[in-house]
Amino acid sequence: MNTPPDDVTLALWLEDELHGDEFAAVEAWARTQPDQIAMRESARKWKAMVKSAIPAVEEPPYPDFFNKRIAQHIKRHEAQQTETRAQNTIPFWRKFTLPLAACAGMAFTFWLGIHSRSIPVVETIAEMTATDELIQLAEANDSPPATVYTPENGVRAECFESETASATVVVLDGLAAIPDTTDLTRQTAATETPREIDSTAHADLPASKDTKP
Amino acid sequence: MNSSGEIASNIGQLHCDSGYSDACSDAHDEDWALITKAQQGDLASYDALVTRHRGRIFAMIRNMIHNEADAWDLSQEVFIKAWHALPRFEARARFTTWIYRIAHNAVYDWNRKRRIESVGELDDNLFNSEQIDPASNTTPSANAAPDDSLAQSELRVKIERALAKLSDEHRQVVILKDVQGLSYKEISTIMETSLGTVMSRLHYARQKLQTMLQDEYAAR
Repeated sequence: MNTPPDDVTLALWLEDELHGDEFAAVEAWARTQPDQIAMRESARKWKAMVKSAIPAVEEPPYPDFFNKRIAQHIKRHEAQQTETRAQNTIPFWRKFTLPLAACAGMAFTFWLGIHSRSIPVVETIAEMTATDELIQLAEANDSPPATVYTPENGVRAECFESETASATVVVLDGLAAIPDTTDLTRQTAATETPREIDSTAHADLPASKDTKP
Repeated sequence: MNSSGEIASNIGQLHCDSGYSDACSDAHDEDWALITKAQQGDLASYDALVTRHRGRIFAMIRNMIHNEADAWDLSQEVFIKAWHALPRFEARARFTTWIYRIAHNAVYDWNRKRRIESVGELDDNLFNSEQIDPASNTTPSANAAPDDSLAQSELRVKIERALAKLSDEHRQVVILKDVQGLSYKEISTIMETSLGTVMSRLHYARQKLQTMLQDEYAAR
Protein backbone atom coordinates (compact mmCIF):
# COMPACT_ATOMS: atom_id res chain seq x y z
CA MET A 1 0.00 0.00 0.00
CA ASN A 2 1.51 3.29 -1.09
CA THR A 3 -1.44 5.60 -0.62
CA PRO A 4 -1.48 7.19 2.82
CA PRO A 5 -4.50 6.40 5.03
CA ASP A 6 -7.01 9.07 5.98
CA ASP A 7 -6.58 10.96 9.26
CA VAL A 8 -9.07 8.87 11.22
CA THR A 9 -7.57 5.57 10.12
CA LEU A 10 -4.08 6.86 10.87
CA ALA A 11 -5.15 8.02 14.35
CA LEU A 12 -6.66 4.59 15.00
CA TRP A 13 -3.45 2.90 13.82
CA LEU A 14 -1.35 5.15 16.10
CA GLU A 15 -3.48 4.01 19.04
CA ASP A 16 -3.33 0.32 18.05
CA GLU A 17 -7.04 0.26 17.39
CA LEU A 18 -6.93 -1.21 13.90
CA HIS A 19 -7.45 -4.90 13.21
CA GLY A 20 -7.40 -7.33 10.34
CA ASP A 21 -6.93 -6.16 6.76
CA GLU A 22 -7.15 -2.50 7.67
CA PHE A 23 -4.30 -2.86 10.11
CA ALA A 24 -2.18 -4.82 7.62
CA ALA A 25 -2.69 -2.18 4.95
CA VAL A 26 -1.67 0.75 7.16
CA GLU A 27 1.18 -1.24 8.65
CA ALA A 28 2.55 -1.89 5.16
CA TRP A 29 2.36 1.81 4.35
CA ALA A 30 3.94 2.81 7.68
CA ARG A 31 7.06 0.68 7.04
CA THR A 32 8.23 3.43 4.74
CA GLN A 33 7.19 6.18 7.20
CA PRO A 34 9.72 6.30 10.07
CA ASP A 35 8.12 9.43 11.56
CA GLN A 36 4.76 7.64 11.89
CA ILE A 37 6.42 4.64 13.50
CA ALA A 38 8.18 7.00 15.92
CA MET A 39 4.87 8.68 16.76
CA ARG A 40 3.26 5.34 17.50
CA GLU A 41 6.17 4.38 19.71
CA SER A 42 5.89 7.69 21.50
CA ALA A 43 2.15 7.13 22.09
CA ARG A 44 2.84 3.61 23.38
CA LYS A 45 5.54 4.91 25.72
CA TRP A 46 3.22 7.60 27.04
CA LYS A 47 0.38 5.17 27.66
CA ALA A 48 2.70 2.72 29.39
CA MET A 49 3.98 5.48 31.67
CA VAL A 50 0.49 6.64 32.62
CA LYS A 51 -0.77 3.11 33.13
CA SER A 52 2.14 2.22 35.36
CA ALA A 53 1.43 5.23 37.57
CA ILE A 54 -2.35 5.33 37.68
CA PRO A 55 -4.23 2.05 38.02
CA ALA A 56 -7.28 1.54 35.82
CA VAL A 57 -8.95 -0.48 38.53
CA GLU A 58 -9.05 0.69 42.11
CA GLU A 59 -11.22 -0.96 44.68
CA PRO A 60 -13.28 1.56 46.65
CA PRO A 61 -12.61 1.68 50.39
CA TYR A 62 -14.81 -0.75 52.36
CA PRO A 63 -15.94 -2.60 49.22
CA ASP A 64 -18.47 -4.80 51.03
CA PHE A 65 -20.11 -1.80 52.63
CA PHE A 66 -20.06 -0.14 49.21
CA ASN A 67 -22.23 -2.91 47.74
CA LYS A 68 -24.39 -3.12 50.84
CA ARG A 69 -25.33 0.54 50.68
CA ILE A 70 -26.35 0.21 47.03
CA ALA A 71 -28.48 -2.83 47.85
CA GLN A 72 -30.06 -1.05 50.81
CA HIS A 73 -30.94 1.97 48.70
CA ILE A 74 -32.48 -0.20 46.00
CA LYS A 75 -34.52 -2.20 48.53
CA ARG A 76 -35.73 0.97 50.23
CA HIS A 77 -36.69 2.49 46.89
CA GLU A 78 -38.53 -0.66 45.82
CA ALA A 79 -40.43 -0.72 49.12
CA GLN A 80 -41.43 2.93 48.69
CA GLN A 81 -42.63 2.25 45.16
CA THR A 82 -44.70 -0.75 46.27
CA GLU A 83 -46.26 1.37 49.01
CA THR A 84 -47.08 4.17 46.58
CA ARG A 85 -48.56 1.70 44.13
CA ALA A 86 -50.72 0.21 46.89
CA GLN A 87 -51.94 3.66 47.90
CA ASN A 88 -52.80 4.56 44.33
CA THR A 89 -54.68 1.30 43.69
CA ILE A 90 -58.32 1.71 44.82
CA PRO A 91 -60.20 -1.58 45.46
CA PHE A 92 -62.95 -2.50 42.99
CA TRP A 93 -65.81 -2.05 45.47
CA ARG A 94 -64.55 1.36 46.54
CA LYS A 95 -64.72 2.62 42.97
CA PHE A 96 -68.53 2.30 43.14
CA THR A 97 -69.17 3.17 46.77
CA LEU A 98 -67.34 6.51 46.64
CA PRO A 99 -69.58 8.16 43.99
CA LEU A 100 -72.68 6.60 45.58
CA ALA A 101 -71.79 8.02 48.97
CA ALA A 102 -71.19 11.41 47.38
CA CYS A 103 -74.61 11.34 45.66
CA ALA A 104 -76.35 10.28 48.89
CA GLY A 105 -74.66 13.11 50.75
CA MET A 106 -75.78 15.66 48.17
CA ALA A 107 -79.37 14.33 48.23
CA PHE A 108 -79.51 14.50 52.04
CA THR A 109 -78.17 18.06 52.04
CA PHE A 110 -80.78 19.08 49.47
CA TRP A 111 -83.61 17.47 51.52
CA LEU A 112 -82.36 19.17 54.67
CA GLY A 113 -82.29 22.51 52.90
CA ILE A 114 -85.88 22.13 51.64
CA HIS A 115 -87.25 21.16 55.06
CA SER A 116 -85.53 23.79 57.10
CA ARG A 117 -86.74 26.57 54.73
CA SER A 118 -90.38 25.38 54.23
CA ILE A 119 -92.28 27.83 56.54
CA PRO A 120 -90.21 30.96 55.87
CA VAL A 121 -90.55 30.36 52.14
CA VAL A 122 -94.36 30.48 52.32
CA GLU A 123 -94.25 33.63 54.44
CA THR A 124 -91.83 35.27 52.11
CA ILE A 125 -94.15 34.56 49.19
CA ALA A 126 -97.04 36.12 51.15
CA GLU A 127 -94.94 39.16 51.91
CA MET A 128 -93.91 39.41 48.31
CA THR A 129 -97.58 39.28 47.23
CA ALA A 130 -98.39 41.98 49.73
CA THR A 131 -95.51 44.05 48.50
CA ASP A 132 -96.69 43.62 44.92
CA GLU A 133 -100.16 44.89 45.92
CA LEU A 134 -98.56 47.90 47.58
CA ILE A 135 -96.52 48.62 44.51
CA GLN A 136 -99.59 48.37 42.33
CA LEU A 137 -101.48 50.70 44.71
CA ALA A 138 -98.63 53.14 44.77
CA GLU A 139 -98.40 53.13 40.99
CA ALA A 140 -102.11 53.89 40.83
CA ASN A 141 -101.66 56.79 43.26
CA ASP A 142 -98.56 57.96 41.41
CA SER A 143 -96.44 57.91 44.56
CA PRO A 144 -93.42 55.84 45.54
CA PRO A 145 -94.33 52.57 47.31
CA ALA A 146 -93.84 52.26 51.03
CA THR A 147 -92.24 48.95 51.88
CA VAL A 148 -92.06 47.75 55.46
CA TYR A 149 -89.80 44.93 56.41
CA THR A 150 -90.79 42.94 59.49
CA PRO A 151 -87.97 40.70 60.59
CA GLU A 152 -90.03 39.00 63.35
CA ASN A 153 -92.29 36.15 62.26
CA GLY A 154 -96.02 36.67 62.82
CA VAL A 155 -95.85 40.46 62.76
CA ARG A 156 -97.85 42.19 60.07
CA ALA A 157 -97.25 45.70 58.97
CA GLU A 158 -99.75 48.07 57.37
CA CYS A 159 -99.00 51.51 56.00
CA PHE A 160 -101.40 54.39 55.92
CA GLU A 161 -100.43 57.49 54.06
CA SER A 162 -102.11 60.82 54.41
CA GLU A 163 -101.30 63.45 51.83
CA THR A 164 -103.10 66.18 53.67
CA ALA A 165 -101.25 65.49 56.90
CA SER A 166 -98.05 64.65 55.02
CA ALA A 167 -97.67 61.64 57.25
CA THR A 168 -97.31 57.92 57.03
CA VAL A 169 -98.58 55.69 59.79
CA VAL A 170 -97.22 52.20 60.13
CA VAL A 171 -99.35 49.80 62.12
CA LEU A 172 -97.57 46.75 63.39
CA ASP A 173 -99.94 43.94 64.29
CA GLY A 174 -98.73 41.00 66.36
CA LEU A 175 -96.07 42.68 68.46
CA ALA A 176 -95.92 41.94 72.16
CA ALA A 177 -97.17 44.71 74.45
CA ILE A 178 -94.50 47.10 75.63
CA PRO A 179 -94.27 46.99 79.44
CA ASP A 180 -94.96 50.22 81.30
CA THR A 181 -91.62 50.06 83.01
CA THR A 182 -89.75 50.50 79.73
CA ASP A 183 -88.18 53.92 79.59
CA LEU A 184 -88.70 54.87 76.00
CA THR A 185 -86.94 58.17 76.37
CA ARG A 186 -83.62 56.47 76.83
CA GLN A 187 -84.14 54.07 73.94
CA THR A 188 -85.30 56.59 71.42
CA ALA A 189 -82.63 57.79 69.18
CA ALA A 190 -82.19 61.53 69.49
CA THR A 191 -81.77 63.57 66.38
CA GLU A 192 -80.17 66.91 66.76
CA THR A 193 -81.78 69.62 64.74
CA PRO A 194 -79.61 72.53 63.83
CA ARG A 195 -80.47 75.57 65.90
CA GLU A 196 -80.41 78.95 64.39
CA ILE A 197 -78.21 80.30 67.14
CA ASP A 198 -75.53 77.70 66.38
CA SER A 199 -75.18 78.97 62.91
CA THR A 200 -73.02 82.05 62.64
CA ALA A 201 -72.85 82.23 58.92
CA HIS A 202 -75.98 84.24 58.36
CA ALA A 203 -76.69 85.53 61.83
CA ASP A 204 -77.74 89.18 61.98
CA LEU A 205 -76.60 90.00 65.41
CA PRO A 206 -77.81 93.25 67.01
CA ALA A 207 -75.19 95.88 67.61
CA SER A 208 -73.64 95.37 70.98
CA LYS A 209 -74.18 97.96 73.64
CA ASP A 210 -70.65 97.56 74.84
CA THR A 211 -69.20 98.47 71.50
CA LYS A 212 -67.07 101.49 71.90
CA PRO A 213 -67.17 104.16 69.24
CA MET B 1 -20.80 -10.42 48.60
CA ASN B 2 -17.62 -11.38 46.76
CA SER B 3 -14.21 -11.21 48.32
CA SER B 4 -11.43 -8.98 47.04
CA GLY B 5 -9.64 -11.94 45.46
CA GLU B 6 -12.65 -12.85 43.36
CA ILE B 7 -13.05 -9.23 42.34
CA ALA B 8 -9.51 -9.01 41.07
CA SER B 9 -9.92 -12.10 38.91
CA ASN B 10 -13.23 -10.85 37.55
CA ILE B 11 -11.87 -7.45 36.76
CA GLY B 12 -8.93 -8.99 34.91
CA GLN B 13 -11.38 -10.47 32.42
CA LEU B 14 -12.94 -7.10 31.75
CA HIS B 15 -9.84 -5.40 30.49
CA CYS B 16 -10.14 -5.07 26.73
CA ASP B 17 -8.01 -2.32 25.27
CA SER B 18 -9.64 -2.12 21.88
CA GLY B 19 -11.86 -4.27 19.76
CA TYR B 20 -13.33 -7.53 20.97
CA SER B 21 -10.89 -10.16 22.07
CA ASP B 22 -12.10 -13.59 23.26
CA ALA B 23 -11.62 -12.59 26.91
CA CYS B 24 -13.57 -9.43 26.27
CA SER B 25 -16.36 -11.35 24.60
CA ASP B 26 -16.50 -13.75 27.58
CA ALA B 27 -16.72 -10.82 29.97
CA HIS B 28 -19.49 -9.35 27.85
CA ASP B 29 -21.39 -12.66 27.94
CA GLU B 30 -20.98 -12.94 31.70
CA ASP B 31 -22.20 -9.39 32.09
CA TRP B 32 -25.17 -10.08 29.89
CA ALA B 33 -26.15 -13.17 31.89
CA LEU B 34 -26.10 -11.12 35.09
CA ILE B 35 -27.95 -8.22 33.45
CA THR B 36 -30.76 -10.48 32.23
CA LYS B 37 -31.30 -11.78 35.77
CA ALA B 38 -31.00 -8.31 37.27
CA GLN B 39 -33.57 -6.97 34.81
CA GLN B 40 -35.99 -9.52 36.25
CA GLY B 41 -35.39 -8.04 39.69
CA ASP B 42 -32.64 -10.36 40.93
CA LEU B 43 -30.70 -8.14 43.29
CA ALA B 44 -27.98 -10.76 43.90
CA SER B 45 -27.08 -10.74 40.20
CA TYR B 46 -26.92 -6.97 40.22
CA ASP B 47 -24.70 -7.13 43.28
CA ALA B 48 -22.32 -9.38 41.33
CA LEU B 49 -22.42 -6.92 38.45
CA VAL B 50 -21.54 -4.08 40.81
CA THR B 51 -18.63 -6.10 42.16
CA ARG B 52 -17.30 -6.70 38.64
CA HIS B 53 -17.37 -3.03 37.65
CA ARG B 54 -17.02 -0.97 40.81
CA GLY B 55 -13.20 -0.87 40.67
CA ARG B 56 -13.14 0.73 37.21
CA ILE B 57 -15.93 3.17 37.94
CA PHE B 58 -14.45 4.21 41.27
CA ALA B 59 -10.97 4.67 39.72
CA MET B 60 -12.37 6.70 36.85
CA ILE B 61 -14.43 8.98 39.10
CA ARG B 62 -11.64 9.36 41.64
CA ASN B 63 -9.22 10.41 38.93
CA MET B 64 -11.76 12.89 37.64
CA ILE B 65 -12.75 14.60 40.87
CA HIS B 66 -9.63 14.00 43.02
CA ASN B 67 -11.62 13.32 46.16
CA GLU B 68 -11.88 9.82 47.52
CA ALA B 69 -14.91 10.36 49.77
CA ASP B 70 -16.94 12.06 47.05
CA ALA B 71 -15.81 9.45 44.52
CA TRP B 72 -17.08 6.74 46.87
CA ASP B 73 -20.52 8.35 47.12
CA LEU B 74 -20.67 9.23 43.44
CA SER B 75 -19.75 5.68 42.38
CA GLN B 76 -22.65 4.36 44.43
CA GLU B 77 -24.94 6.91 42.85
CA VAL B 78 -23.83 5.65 39.42
CA PHE B 79 -24.76 2.07 40.26
CA ILE B 80 -28.10 3.14 41.77
CA LYS B 81 -28.91 5.13 38.61
CA ALA B 82 -27.84 2.16 36.51
CA TRP B 83 -30.23 -0.11 38.45
CA HIS B 84 -33.14 2.21 37.76
CA ALA B 85 -32.18 2.47 34.07
CA LEU B 86 -31.46 -1.25 33.71
CA PRO B 87 -34.88 -2.16 32.23
CA ARG B 88 -34.02 0.08 29.27
CA PHE B 89 -30.57 -1.45 28.73
CA GLU B 90 -30.29 -3.36 25.45
CA ALA B 91 -28.01 -6.24 24.50
CA ARG B 92 -26.41 -4.39 21.59
CA ALA B 93 -24.52 -2.08 23.98
CA ARG B 94 -21.62 -3.12 26.17
CA PHE B 95 -22.36 -2.77 29.87
CA THR B 96 -18.94 -1.19 30.49
CA THR B 97 -19.55 1.54 27.92
CA TRP B 98 -23.06 2.11 29.26
CA ILE B 99 -21.97 2.38 32.90
CA TYR B 100 -19.06 4.67 31.95
CA ARG B 101 -21.57 6.92 30.26
CA ILE B 102 -23.67 7.10 33.42
CA ALA B 103 -20.49 7.82 35.38
CA HIS B 104 -19.52 10.55 32.91
CA ASN B 105 -22.92 12.25 33.36
CA ALA B 106 -22.70 11.92 37.14
CA VAL B 107 -19.25 13.54 37.19
CA TYR B 108 -20.46 16.29 34.86
CA ASP B 109 -23.43 17.03 37.16
CA TRP B 110 -21.22 16.90 40.24
CA ASN B 111 -18.75 19.38 38.77
CA ARG B 112 -21.53 21.72 37.69
CA LYS B 113 -23.22 21.57 41.10
CA ARG B 114 -19.93 22.17 42.86
CA ARG B 115 -19.22 25.23 40.71
CA ILE B 116 -22.66 26.68 41.49
CA GLU B 117 -22.32 26.00 45.21
CA SER B 118 -18.84 27.43 45.40
CA VAL B 119 -19.81 30.77 43.82
CA GLY B 120 -19.49 33.47 46.46
CA GLU B 121 -19.16 31.02 49.33
CA LEU B 122 -15.44 30.80 49.73
CA ASP B 123 -12.54 33.00 48.86
CA ASP B 124 -10.41 30.71 46.74
CA ASN B 125 -7.42 32.97 47.28
CA LEU B 126 -7.24 31.69 50.83
CA PHE B 127 -5.97 28.40 49.53
CA ASN B 128 -3.15 27.75 47.21
CA SER B 129 -4.17 24.87 44.97
CA GLU B 130 -0.51 23.98 44.54
CA GLN B 131 -0.34 23.09 48.23
CA ILE B 132 -3.27 20.71 48.06
CA ASP B 133 -2.28 17.31 46.86
CA PRO B 134 -4.95 16.22 44.37
CA ALA B 135 -4.12 12.60 45.07
CA SER B 136 -4.57 12.95 48.80
CA ASN B 137 -6.92 10.51 50.50
CA THR B 138 -9.76 12.14 52.35
CA THR B 139 -10.68 9.00 54.24
CA PRO B 140 -8.26 6.47 55.62
CA SER B 141 -8.34 3.14 53.82
CA ALA B 142 -9.14 0.23 56.09
CA ASN B 143 -7.09 -2.35 54.26
CA ALA B 144 -3.68 -1.79 52.81
CA ALA B 145 -4.17 -2.70 49.15
CA PRO B 146 -1.22 -3.90 47.06
CA ASP B 147 -1.63 -0.82 44.88
CA ASP B 148 -1.01 1.50 47.82
CA SER B 149 2.70 1.73 47.18
CA LEU B 150 1.99 2.71 43.58
CA ALA B 151 -0.66 5.18 44.65
CA GLN B 152 1.88 6.92 46.83
CA SER B 153 4.49 7.01 44.16
CA GLU B 154 5.91 10.30 43.11
CA LEU B 155 5.05 9.78 39.47
CA ARG B 156 1.38 9.26 40.20
CA VAL B 157 1.24 12.44 42.23
CA LYS B 158 2.94 14.37 39.46
CA ILE B 159 0.64 12.99 36.76
CA GLU B 160 -2.43 13.68 38.87
CA ARG B 161 -1.30 17.22 39.55
CA ALA B 162 -0.81 17.74 35.84
CA LEU B 163 -4.20 16.19 35.09
CA ALA B 164 -5.84 18.53 37.59
CA LYS B 165 -4.66 21.46 35.52
CA LEU B 166 -6.48 20.26 32.41
CA SER B 167 -10.05 21.13 31.55
CA ASP B 168 -12.72 18.57 32.52
CA GLU B 169 -13.14 17.40 28.92
CA HIS B 170 -9.41 17.00 28.28
CA ARG B 171 -8.86 15.26 31.59
CA GLN B 172 -11.69 12.83 30.95
CA VAL B 173 -10.40 11.89 27.50
CA VAL B 174 -6.95 11.15 28.92
CA ILE B 175 -8.39 9.10 31.79
CA LEU B 176 -10.67 7.09 29.55
CA LYS B 177 -8.05 6.54 26.87
CA ASP B 178 -4.71 6.30 28.65
CA VAL B 179 -5.80 5.06 32.07
CA GLN B 180 -8.92 3.03 31.34
CA GLY B 181 -7.73 1.91 27.91
CA LEU B 182 -10.99 2.51 26.07
CA SER B 183 -11.18 2.91 22.31
CA TYR B 184 -11.90 6.18 20.53
CA LYS B 185 -15.33 4.89 19.55
CA GLU B 186 -16.23 3.97 23.11
CA ILE B 187 -15.07 7.36 24.38
CA SER B 188 -17.11 9.19 21.76
CA THR B 189 -20.18 7.18 22.85
CA ILE B 190 -19.55 7.86 26.53
CA MET B 191 -18.93 11.57 26.06
CA GLU B 192 -21.56 11.93 23.36
CA THR B 193 -19.19 13.66 20.96
CA SER B 194 -17.80 12.92 17.52
CA LEU B 195 -14.78 10.72 16.94
CA GLY B 196 -12.87 13.72 15.57
CA THR B 197 -13.52 15.76 18.72
CA VAL B 198 -12.23 12.93 20.90
CA MET B 199 -9.10 12.59 18.76
CA SER B 200 -8.47 16.31 18.83
CA ARG B 201 -9.02 16.58 22.59
CA LEU B 202 -6.68 13.67 23.25
CA HIS B 203 -4.00 15.17 21.02
CA TYR B 204 -4.03 18.55 22.80
CA ALA B 205 -4.39 17.03 26.27
CA ARG B 206 -1.39 14.77 25.72
CA GLN B 207 0.64 17.66 24.39
CA LYS B 208 -0.10 19.73 27.50
CA LEU B 209 0.63 16.84 29.84
CA GLN B 210 3.88 15.95 28.10
CA THR B 211 5.01 19.55 28.42
CA MET B 212 4.16 19.60 32.13
CA LEU B 213 5.77 16.21 32.70
CA GLN B 214 8.72 16.79 30.41
CA ASP B 215 11.35 15.50 32.85
CA GLU B 216 9.49 12.33 33.76
CA TYR B 217 8.58 11.60 30.14
CA ALA B 218 12.14 12.11 28.88
CA ALA B 219 13.60 9.91 31.61
CA ARG B 220 11.70 6.86 30.33
